[in-house]
Amino acid sequence: MLRDSALLSMKAACLRRFGKFSRLIKGLTLASAVFSSQLITASHSFAVPFDIPSVDGSIVDVSGNEIQSQPQSPVRASTALKRTSAQSPKDDTQSKPLVRFHAWGGSAQVNGYLQWVAAQVSQRFNIELQHVKLADTSDAVSRVLAEKAAGNHDNGSVDLIWINGENFAAMKKHGLLAKDWVKELDHFALTRPEKNAAMVTDFGEPTLGMEAPWGKASMVFYYRSAHMKALDITPGQTINELLRFSQKVPGRFTYPVPSDYLGISFIKYAAIALNGDKQSLFYQPVTESSLQAVLPALWAYLDQLHPTMWQQGEYMLRQASQLQRLVGTGELTLAFSFTAAEIPSAVNRFDLPDDVRTYAMQDGSLANVHFVGLTYNSKNKTAAKTVVNFLLSPEAQAEKQKLAVWGDDTVLDVTLLTKAQAMLFKEASVHRSALDKSQPMVLLAEPHASWTDKLREAWFERYGARY
Amino acid sequence: MLSLENVVIYRDDKPLFQLSADVAKGEVLTVMGPSGAGKSTLLQAIAGQLQAPFSVTGQIKVNHVVINDIDVHLRKVGIMFQDALLFEHMTVGENIAFAMPDKAYKNKQLKHDAINTLLVAVELDGIADRNVNTLSGGQQARVSLIRTLASEPDVVLLDEPFSKLDVALRSQIRSWTFSQLKARNMPAVLVTHDKDDALAAGGNVIEIL
Amino acid sequence: MFTHITLVARWCLLLLLCIPVLAGLVGVIFPALGYFPAIGANAFSTQVFATLFGLPDIWQMMWLSLFTGVGSTLLAVIAAFCILATFYQSSLLGKIQGVLSPFLVFPHAAAAISLLFVVSPSGIFAAITTRLNAYFSHAFTSPFVNEISEMALPAANDGTLLYDGLGLSILIALSLKELPFILLMTLSVMSQPLVKKKLTGYVKVGTALGYSPTASFFKLVLPTTFSQIKLPLLAVLVFATSNVEIPLILGPNNPSTLAVAIMHWFNHIDLSMRLLASSAAVVQVAVSAVAVLLFLGTERLVTYIGKRSLSGGNRYFADGALRASGFVIMAFYIILICAVVYTVVVYSFAKQWHFPLLLPEGLTLLHWNTAISALTTPFINTLLLGVLVSTTSLILVLFTLESEQLQPARAVASNAFSVSLFLPLLVPGVAFLYGLVWFQQLIFQNAVWFHTYVAHMVYVVPYVFLSMAVAYRKFDNRYAMVAQSLGKTPWQVFYHVKLPSLFSAIMVAWALGLAISFSQYLPTLLASGGTIPTVTTEAVASVSGSSTRLTAVYVIIQAVMPLIGFMIAWYMPVIATRKRSRQMLVSGTHSNRSANPVQ
Repeated sequence: MLRDSALLSMKAACLRRFGKFSRLIKGLTLASAVFSSQLITASHSFAVPFDIPSVDGSIVDVSGNEIQSQPQSPVRASTALKRTSAQSPKDDTQSKPLVRFHAWGGSAQVNGYLQWVAAQVSQRFNIELQHVKLADTSDAVSRVLAEKAAGNHDNGSVDLIWINGENFAAMKKHGLLAKDWVKELDHFALTRPEKNAAMVTDFGEPTLGMEAPWGKASMVFYYRSAHMKALDITPGQTINELLRFSQKVPGRFTYPVPSDYLGISFIKYAAIALNGDKQSLFYQPVTESSLQAVLPALWAYLDQLHPTMWQQGEYMLRQASQLQRLVGTGELTLAFSFTAAEIPSAVNRFDLPDDVRTYAMQDGSLANVHFVGLTYNSKNKTAAKTVVNFLLSPEAQAEKQKLAVWGDDTVLDVTLLTKAQAMLFKEASVHRSALDKSQPMVLLAEPHASWTDKLREAWFERYGARY
Repeated sequence: MLSLENVVIYRDDKPLFQLSADVAKGEVLTVMGPSGAGKSTLLQAIAGQLQAPFSVTGQIKVNHVVINDIDVHLRKVGIMFQDALLFEHMTVGENIAFAMPDKAYKNKQLKHDAINTLLVAVELDGIADRNVNTLSGGQQARVSLIRTLASEPDVVLLDEPFSKLDVALRSQIRSWTFSQLKARNMPAVLVTHDKDDALAAGGNVIEIL
Repeated sequence: MFTHITLVARWCLLLLLCIPVLAGLVGVIFPALGYFPAIGANAFSTQVFATLFGLPDIWQMMWLSLFTGVGSTLLAVIAAFCILATFYQSSLLGKIQGVLSPFLVFPHAAAAISLLFVVSPSGIFAAITTRLNAYFSHAFTSPFVNEISEMALPAANDGTLLYDGLGLSILIALSLKELPFILLMTLSVMSQPLVKKKLTGYVKVGTALGYSPTASFFKLVLPTTFSQIKLPLLAVLVFATSNVEIPLILGPNNPSTLAVAIMHWFNHIDLSMRLLASSAAVVQVAVSAVAVLLFLGTERLVTYIGKRSLSGGNRYFADGALRASGFVIMAFYIILICAVVYTVVVYSFAKQWHFPLLLPEGLTLLHWNTAISALTTPFINTLLLGVLVSTTSLILVLFTLESEQLQPARAVASNAFSVSLFLPLLVPGVAFLYGLVWFQQLIFQNAVWFHTYVAHMVYVVPYVFLSMAVAYRKFDNRYAMVAQSLGKTPWQVFYHVKLPSLFSAIMVAWALGLAISFSQYLPTLLASGGTIPTVTTEAVASVSGSSTRLTAVYVIIQAVMPLIGFMIAWYMPVIATRKRSRQMLVSGTHSNRSANPVQ
């Protein structure tokens, strides 16, 4: 046990962010799921217990999200009265169940979106949603664990938590999440879980109904076009072109340490892309021999790349978010992200310069899904489920996908939506810095869960623990 | 009157000196001795403000009542130091009013008059509303004196009160002080280096070594 | 009666400091010894320590912590004394205090980020250099024209000190942050009425004997005051060896300092890493202890050498060099502060801002609106918590100090008290706070505000105490004696004499408590479970985000919030004085002179 912890210390941690991204199951591509076309009519608005009287109405009556900012629409007011018939409307606030959503708070877009969600659920379901902003999702995981250790089994301080990957694995292992609740959500069916294993698998771990899918993303690269012009160079379109780029203009590229989700994602991408002939190995549980089969190419590559990187690779960023900051200040010329939409929205917020352009690597982009979990000791499970069901509603998902809001891709299968609902997902115009979605994109599924730790461990052993 | 009966001052359980004396009303007992002999400590013992490592045995009586175990603020023993130590956040009048016993005067006007009477006695009439920082050293010393008198003590202790005043002022303040004490028939203990002080006080002189 | 209350207050204070820290320590020592039932570790052993010392980088990490902590403190102490020696008799001293005070209340995270902003290769200094170079080499545009005809990139891989493996960046940043604290702490000791009188006398004597001002400072003033600033210095030292924010933001990570690694391990997704983290926390305590010993050793050495040179009778003390460095350090600070203020303020309003331009392309309120719309509740929470914590800790501290004078404790008890006071400053927060949360879960798990309040008190009380104790113990006790002999009860003496006389010191201590409460991140987050968002928790969360501009807004808010407290602290006594003198003018017909302001 203790010997193990020595080894574990060498492992990386998804320290900073929420371990936002998980693997897709073997052989599955997102595209196939999105484009499969089985039509199910949306019957959710008639379903109990989730009372969403205004969803369809608002879509039909008013365009966009404006209606949500009109709390006194007659329909809504009357349902609010119905729901709390025993009380006068003024008492609403006193009986409001509180749902605490622990989610990484480092992005203004995400925070703004959650504020919108809070206003919506307050208005529609009389639920007070509190976004507990985390710098580090593992803080909340630790807290639930401490509560469990102290015997607090029914009055926890965390209701919902934004997780995936390792945080999910840890919470699952220690029994910190409520089980099998996701199927109770009406809107969960819209993700078409029966066809789309990515919705019920997180880092190769079956979710067992402990967490509901919330959004998905794939890895994209972005660069300063003005820099490219000044340096008279083009960004690499494959992993090997990337190395040639960095060798020609040293110090203009880096990647975060593999304890960061984006760092390990880069390592996974590099490992898969550099071992084109052995890709099938990544979709089976890792073995010593399969690891040794793929590492030489990876090490040969990284040994060459590191000295050409920012700070000669001696100092590496701890957090993915700092990558964007350095591109913003102009110290880096080329970087990558797991959220394609954050790039144009960062340009709109002036955090990235307007000469930034986004593209997908020709040798493939890693892709995955992130989830919302419900803790086993949440006091207000019913209210929390109502919130998650709302998060999965076409309306909330469409709002989330808007570039101006957050730009996180929906987990819903758009083919299952009504025409009016599907219309919500259409973007009005294309941003110059945004990824050109009309271009075909090669998606790489995440390797089997067991690879993450092994790759990271091997990296730390070779290049240092980099706390 | 003040009686010291077999008073012994200790420092860390080592006796510094022993003393017995009576000070009648209106008299001044002068205690002289080199620095560090424990003169000020004696005054602190009488005032009840002795601090570690000092301690005292023997009986201290005021008007025949043993005060050894009485709380400091109930002893009615006034003390004055070489600095006037006027409270800077109060005016001259407030300093004096602060010293007056609670409920000694029926209303504000009477209190105000009493303060003025005291000030007149030391030729400082009309400065009641002044900030103490604006007073000269001599004025401060006089205010300090009447502040002590205003508290109507049974005994007054003087810890080198004149040593910081210049020569011209010193004799004037000194005579003021002693005449005021005499007029009120108060027993006093004076600690000093200055033989002139002892002469002016006119009472018994004790030298400790 | 009052005496009893103060005694109770003293015990409350003692318990308040000891229980959380000791409980937290137990919560760390047990796991360090392999006992952590929550993850199924039930057997005590020293195996965890063996594992810890088996790590390849552990000694390097310990060395970094020790080196940066001791080095930065020594550097800051020396620099502070240089400045004091140069300016303490000068009229510029007040201005220097004004310039450096904001640094005091600037949270470490915000300070590190601001430094990063200005010294990075894309920062304002690099931009100015680039513009000047371009101007002189090509003479193409004036550096003041806000457009560039050709693209200039920030230097890649150049020799900035950021993230250097030796930890020099940490060392310098820490000393920059510590210097104002040391300087102001020393000044506050020197400006106590009795000390001030004594020191002025000393300097006069020194000057009369032919000693130069700097020589008088180092040979007469410093030896007299040093013993009183020693404890605060040790607190600074311990803090420097275990600080997380500055090494995290500016330091190397191959490897990092021990404190950063501890935090990393505590937050590790693999919960069994808690064991390693706990053992490292115990080692951190040892590292801090070694730092303290080293510091005390240095002090001995300097005293020994100093004593010899004292009788040597040299009338000068490297006067020229010292004065020059005093001026250089001050100039450096002023330039740095200007650069930081400019960069942060402009960033907070900036639209696009291309390197190496000195101005952005346009201004917008977007970033401020984003921040402010998210800050109403955190702002109220911060204020409520801050005022509550600062006020109660001030009351406790004042009563405790009063009880010391009313009923002096025996030597043993008094020593125990000092130790417990420094306990929260000697134990790295990152260690005991995790243990504390575990205990808080065992009792009153719903009293979130109470837990957060306690966690804040643990950090606020020692600083309020340190700040207050100097003033309180130096208060001329003869005033109290006089008041008592005038027949005033201990409460009356306390309330009517001591509190008004110490009013400005009390307000400063209160503002300091407020500032420290404002800046707490880890205690707030852990004790409240994140349910009490404060401006600082929001700010640190934003720092982990990607927006330089939003971070700039938060840095400004973080800098300004504690300043409000200090403004109140500085102006309240002035207003009180004015009010008093106005009253006097109204009622005092004889008062023809306006009152001097109270010092």
